Amino acid sequence: MKTDLGRTRQISYIGGLVLALLIIGFTGSTQLADAADTYEIDTAHSMILFRAKHNSIAYNYGRFNEFTGKITMDATDISKSMVEFEVKTASVDTANEKRDQHLRSPDFFSAKQFPVITFKSTKVNMKEGAEDVLAVTGDLELLGVKKSITVDVEITGKGKGRQGESLIGFESTFTINRSEFGMTYGVGGPVSDDIGLIVSIEAKQE
Amino acid sequence: MLLIKQLFFGILLPALVGGGIFVIARSLSPKAYATARYEKEENGLTGWLIAAALGVGYIVGYLGLEGLPAFLPKLGTHWLFYLAIIGLIVARFWHRAVWGPIAQIAISIIIPRLLLTSTFKHTWGPIEGIIWWVCLAVVIFIIWHLVEQSFSALPSGASSPFVYFGLSGGTALILALSGSLRLAQHCGILVALFAASWILTLSLQRDRKRFVFPRGASPVMTLLLIGIWMNGYFFAEVPAVSAILLMISPLLAQVGRIAAVQELGTRRSTVVQIAAIALPVVIAIGIAVIRSGLFGDNNGY
Repeated sequence: MKTDLGRTRQISYIGGLVLALLIIGFTGSTQLADAADTYEIDTAHSMILFRAKHNSIAYNYGRFNEFTGKITMDATDISKSMVEFEVKTASVDTANEKRDQHLRSPDFFSAKQFPVITFKSTKVNMKEGAEDVLAVTGDLELLGVKKSITVDVEITGKGKGRQGESLIGFESTFTINRSEFGMTYGVGGPVSDDIGLIVSIEAKQE
Repeated sequence: MLLIKQLFFGILLPALVGGGIFVIARSLSPKAYATARYEKEENGLTGWLIAAALGVGYIVGYLGLEGLPAFLPKLGTHWLFYLAIIGLIVARFWHRAVWGPIAQIAISIIIPRLLLTSTFKHTWGPIEGIIWWVCLAVVIFIIWHLVEQSFSALPSGASSPFVYFGLSGGTALILALSGSLRLAQHCGILVALFAASWILTLSLQRDRKRFVFPRGASPVMTLLLIGIWMNGYFFAEVPAVSAILLMISPLLAQVGRIAAVQELGTRRSTVVQIAAIALPVVIAIGIAVIRSGLFGDNNGY
């Protein structure tokens, strides 16, 4: 009888241990899942600006009014983070309708043929020696040409919105050569090859 | 500096190269037009050289303006380079009874799918895409036929190159007004080539060789014009009515076959024919001018 009782206790101890491990494991995996937060870009508080030099004299600025994107931030392992963007080329806006029409034409963005510019990250790291700055590498696709670029992205702030939602802000300033994407019209003439970009993002946790 | 480069590579160089090949072709062609020997020569190397004058001239201009395009082509304009090459290949066996029509049908079907890949992907649904595809294939086939028929409908001599000089010039102007100077430059290469062949035909009239474009020139001419028109309508802002008017203008060369026009005499009937072809082009330009807001307040930047 004693032996049976001992066995029953032993089994119940093992069962309890397995259950405890399962609970710990479950909690742990939940914590891991929570560590990767997904944010959606708040387009009302975000901006994609660009600048090009006109006739090698002055910078002219423009923006894209329509874009969407998603950011996955993994605080425990930043390399698991991801960024995705989609910018509508037809939404280009330089405060001059005639120029915007030209920018939408096959001379520049060919907006009818290529309705979107996309960016998808392939690698995200913390930038060495800089606080709150990420080094984001990804594929930028413009005019059907995909090129890998690496940009510094500063985390400009974190906080709560009016409804208690988690917010995060990013900003990145970088330059691309448009001719590398086949946008060659006017290079060496009225419009510079190098295009400066400022991407300022406020994103809301989903 | 950029303007000088564009003028040299987009106008002067293609005109020189195309004009050079044109002179060689004319020197090899027989004197008497519409004879058995002429027919033979037209279908042989001499005929192909006229196509080569246009095709090679365009390729030279393209390379000068844009450099070597991507393969596989990404932009609509990249296809123009390859269309010129396809046109040159097809022109070589265009006169063959079986292969010519087969190539014409196959190319008419393939071109819309290749040139408008992104439109099929982003803009049209499956059914809409198929409807557009079928309609465009039929339109390309018909235009090709119209271009070819216009060669024999127009009087021999300088009228054929002059008509296509006007048609490509009108197209270039419409493209520039519709927001794509790049496409206008591509059409400018054709303008230079037709201008060179027109001027050379006029200056070589003394050798009594009566010039008409050989049938073999139609693949190069049609594919380049179609490629530019499709780029202009689908990717730039060429008004639909202007595009249609440009496409139907070669049809009006058939006015010359009307008995009442033929009775006017050679010179007058030629004027009537050219006027009939020019009319839709002029209307198309007018529509593009109005649509462009050229004379509005916001006319530049």
